[in-house]
Amino acid sequence: MKRSFASLLITALVVCATPAFAKGDIEAGKAKAVPCQACHGADGNAADPQYPRLAGQYHDYLQRALHEYKKGDRKNPIMAGFAAPLSDEDIANLAAYFASLPGSKLTDLHGKVQGD
Amino acid sequence: MTRAPLLAIALLITTLPCAAAEKGDAAAGKSKVYTCAGCHGIPGWKNPYPNYHVPRIGGQNYDYLVTALTEYKTGERLHPTMRAQGESLSEQDIRDIATYLSGLAP
Repeated sequence: MKRSFASLLITALVVCATPAFAKGDIEAGKAKAVPCQACHGADGNAADPQYPRLAGQYHDYLQRALHEYKKGDRKNPIMAGFAAPLSDEDIANLAAYFASLPGSKLTDLHGKVQGD
Repeated sequence: MTRAPLLAIALLITTLPCAAAEKGDAAAGKSKVYTCAGCHGIPGWKNPYPNYHVPRIGGQNYDYLVTALTEYKTGERLHPTMRAQGESLSEQDIRDIATYLSGLAP
């Protein structure tokens, strides 16, 4: 009885500790990233301001965005076309690659609001 | 004969609204991002369900930020917290915020 409770607890802990967005493979992501570069820049810092900069963005946020484009929850005709054929693994790899790029121009707002 | 369609396309392109959005006031934007910092100002802060980091938005491109906030405002882009934030923003607020955020550097 006690043992089954303990195993249940351990299972619950393992499930909770497993990140929803596992980190992908950077090199595999790089190989898939060529089409992205046309808009998001060769270095992931899109020069055209209508496209977001991806270099140094959180990998799990990038995965979330690609999944939303793939499912159609987030609507963008260009991204829908690119996201549709991607597997979960492709998405994880692409996100890992862009998150890993050096020279990120992105920052959080820590210390950057009025009164800071 | 072949020139007519070309002319029509050229006319269409030149009459399309200018894609580059008009910039706002960075100083006004700085005071308007106070609420944003509640999530986007805490390094490593995560969205609860599903669990993922809220994005880094400082230094992001201006036009993209305007599009994102406008989509949250209209409900086109789905996220309960950001939908509520977007609804409270005027178009001027969005331009001011995007101007301030896009001017930040790491």
